[in-house]
Amino acid sequence: MTDEELMKMAVDTALGQGAKEVIAQLIEEEEHQIRFSYSQTDIAKRWKRNYLDIFLTSGHPLSLGKKINTLTIHDPTPKKIKTQIPREVRVLRSLPKSKLYWGMDSASHSTYPSLKGLYDERIDEMPEKAPSIVDDTISASHEGGAKKVSGVLYFGKTNKGLLTSHGNGGVYRTSYCRATVRSFHDDNSSGQSLVVTRNLKDIDKKMMDAGSRAGRLAKRSAGGKEEKGGRYDLIMSPTVAGNIFGTLLSSANPIMMLGGMSCLKGKMDEQIGPDSLSVRDDPLVNDGMNSRPFDDEGTPSKRTPLIDEGVFSNLLHNTSTAKLWKLLNWIKLKFWIRPTTTSNSVLGQLGMTGSDDDPRTLLVGPSNYVFEPGTFTLNEMISSSKRPTIYMTSNWYTRFTNMREGKFSTVPRDAAFLIQDGEVKRPVRNLRLKGDLLKMCGDITGIGKDVRQIQWWEVSTPTFVPHIKVKDCTFTKAKS
Amino acid sequence: MDGKDVADHAVEYGDSLGADYVEARYIRSKDDNYITRNGKFLGIQKKESRGIGIRVLVDGCMGFGSTNSVHRKAVEDTIDSVVGMAKLSRRDTPIRLSDEKTVRTKWSVPVKRPFADVPEDEKRNYIKELDKSIKRAGKRTIKNRILFMNMNTADKYTTTSHGSCVRANTSLISIMTIMNARYKDRKEQKMVTLGSSSGWEWLKEENIMSELTGQGESLYKTVSYAKDHTFNRPMDVVVAGEVSGIMAHENVGHPSEGDRILGREAAQAGESFYSDILDEDPQIGNEEVTIIDDPTLKGSPGYYRYDEECVKARPRYLIKNGRLNELLLNRECAYRFDKKSNASARSTSYSREPIPRMSNTFFETGDHTKEELIEDVKNGILLNSFTEWNIDDRRFHSKYVGLEAYLIKNGEVTDTMVRRPVLELTTYGILRNVDAVSKEYESRMAPCGKSDPMQPIPVSVGGPHVRLRKVVVG
Repeated sequence: MTDEELMKMAVDTALGQGAKEVIAQLIEEEEHQIRFSYSQTDIAKRWKRNYLDIFLTSGHPLSLGKKINTLTIHDPTPKKIKTQIPREVRVLRSLPKSKLYWGMDSASHSTYPSLKGLYDERIDEMPEKAPSIVDDTISASHEGGAKKVSGVLYFGKTNKGLLTSHGNGGVYRTSYCRATVRSFHDDNSSGQSLVVTRNLKDIDKKMMDAGSRAGRLAKRSAGGKEEKGGRYDLIMSPTVAGNIFGTLLSSANPIMMLGGMSCLKGKMDEQIGPDSLSVRDDPLVNDGMNSRPFDDEGTPSKRTPLIDEGVFSNLLHNTSTAKLWKLLNWIKLKFWIRPTTTSNSVLGQLGMTGSDDDPRTLLVGPSNYVFEPGTFTLNEMISSSKRPTIYMTSNWYTRFTNMREGKFSTVPRDAAFLIQDGEVKRPVRNLRLKGDLLKMCGDITGIGKDVRQIQWWEVSTPTFVPHIKVKDCTFTKAKS
Repeated sequence: MDGKDVADHAVEYGDSLGADYVEARYIRSKDDNYITRNGKFLGIQKKESRGIGIRVLVDGCMGFGSTNSVHRKAVEDTIDSVVGMAKLSRRDTPIRLSDEKTVRTKWSVPVKRPFADVPEDEKRNYIKELDKSIKRAGKRTIKNRILFMNMNTADKYTTTSHGSCVRANTSLISIMTIMNARYKDRKEQKMVTLGSSSGWEWLKEENIMSELTGQGESLYKTVSYAKDHTFNRPMDVVVAGEVSGIMAHENVGHPSEGDRILGREAAQAGESFYSDILDEDPQIGNEEVTIIDDPTLKGSPGYYRYDEECVKARPRYLIKNGRLNELLLNRECAYRFDKKSNASARSTSYSREPIPRMSNTFFETGDHTKEELIEDVKNGILLNSFTEWNIDDRRFHSKYVGLEAYLIKNGEVTDTMVRRPVLELTTYGILRNVDAVSKEYESRMAPCGKSDPMQPIPVSVGGPHVRLRKVVVG
């Protein structure tokens, strides 16, 4: 039985049992990982899963909220479909309505955007090549100045199929490779570099370049001293900007707003950054790790401006939240605001709810965040820094006092430098950045030309972002 | 062939390929979760998953693989792949595992009322009543309330080529609340999680409705009455169990993890400042400081009898009377430190490798009542709860921002509430300023994050009241 036939059987079975709308998502994935530390491999891993996610709904088309249920059939077969789906449709009838679900995309979509570069045939060579790529990366980092090298290399491929009860969806395949290389010159002097791509051409060279960069950064950060807390201008590397401004962008989500977790609530159409700041959600961007022809409702992918010349311009939506927001706007007598889906529907989990990754509901999620490039090079940002400035190359542990207000602190990690009078003076350490997402966005003074894709432990949404400079930031340090 | 048979076959098959060690773990897990916003259901989800994870050691190199296809062919394919990858790996220092006693046993979380026996209406009504109770406690300030209630049961079977096998039945219930309060122009937010390895009975026996309602009252008071104060000077600080628990977890538990010290988490959760001091004077805190990580506490979120490498669990005294005493070790780390494993290997799923983790980490209770801790403070602060926190990745420079906090004057807690006092302290700044610990113990649960892919594992992060002398409050 083909993937399409299996999904059709699932949809037909659910409809036949009384479900009103159905999504069948068939995933077959194989992922690999090599972890290394102290310049040698710690473990090599492979995960293999094939499963069929079924999203079931019932309820009158005009009702405020509908009943929903999800089912994941592992290692799916026709027999499992025939036995498990009827059972879950019966469960569906007994559930209360979900206030999050208002319907899915019922339009008929006959064509989807054609995306190039989602799959690279060279992925099949990776399991054999990867161990030596890791060894070469470690060697390159040592040559750059590292004394010990740590990191992780991921690669994998996925076949994804989707079929909704409205006939939308299709089948496509993807592959990817991403890596973090963290190198140490000594226990307290480190540098980090990333590789994030679907394009496996010269992947060994890309990895070695990353290793070399991390090694050089680690060496340059050696001998760092504790710096006084206080006010500094800040240059964020793309890795740092991806974490901090990525967190701001994740607030452009109706579900975050409903949960009281968005500092962008009430800011629509307001100027929140400089004219030079434009960011979009882009599921079509070349090489994007979350690029895709359609979302999990089968809506064709499209770009959505989030910040347009500094103005907060859109929320991401799926069909349900768009309907909900339309109603909320009517209640506020704003009849002219009629949001529609932005093709950001995602089968996922709300909160840390279970012991597995299986989806539990239909949510709104970003694809890839893409910053428009600015006009500065990093050297220009540094040389134009007349006030004391900290250059952060990496950070971790961003936590909020209150997500609704956007007040947070985060800890610089790896190489950080003090810049004075337009020059890098010395490496610094043991500082903490205390911030306010909206204030920092408004205080952006420079956007780099060098947009690159970031995704790692601290940046889960693929983010194409350059160096970004922010004025007048607060740094603190431990006092006892 | 059921999951247990497939796991047994995995070990035999891995052995036949020449692996030095094979460990197979079959897990069948059920989740039952309820999510509400302001008392209305966002979703009720019942999920079941199963799969098998296999770890092999080949010529000193480690491989791990998993599949959700629980049959012989898929498992053999997985083992072929991971053995092949392990053989291609390069290490100068071969991985070895500590020798441990072989066990063949089974254990279960004690449960009086299994989740499956609880009528659906009772579960739904409980979470709706809880929302109403928090709303009442908030006196119209807590306008946005999200509640997550999750019940997880799992059947686990772990078997190794060293002859051990352990069958476990676990049961975990947890409730997480996100409360957003607003009063005039002030906004405060509180996330709190309570949980237990037990059945439905936990809600009644521990009076969870009352406990979480109390959290609502606390947030109401904070948003309504807390005012900004500027200190920036040394003061005595008494921290309640929620705060002492997160300190024990972040400043002591994490740096005690053997894999961090050996650098294995360097590119993810980081390393440990312990690597600088292991060969030095082990006195890193005052004598009053004893910090324990104890997986054997029945009912606790981090409860287990045997770890994921079939080693019998026991309490670990990480710091004893201020002296660094013991690390958290799995078999791989134990071998490197020339010690025995202390059963710290945990994993969140069949698809994750077992690594050193905390379970329930806390300051050992002392002889004082919490009132006695406060009686002896002339000018200070009581921190009942916290909001923002973080720590550097070597676990030395930490920050904790208070949420419900009061001024202490002349030995008494005043009505004056302090808005968001900041403790930005080093680990030594905490451990070397503790002078008293209370008898009372307050429980909290958290998903502790570590590893890549992330493994958010249930732990408890509560503890007694702890008094710190003369620390700078920002």
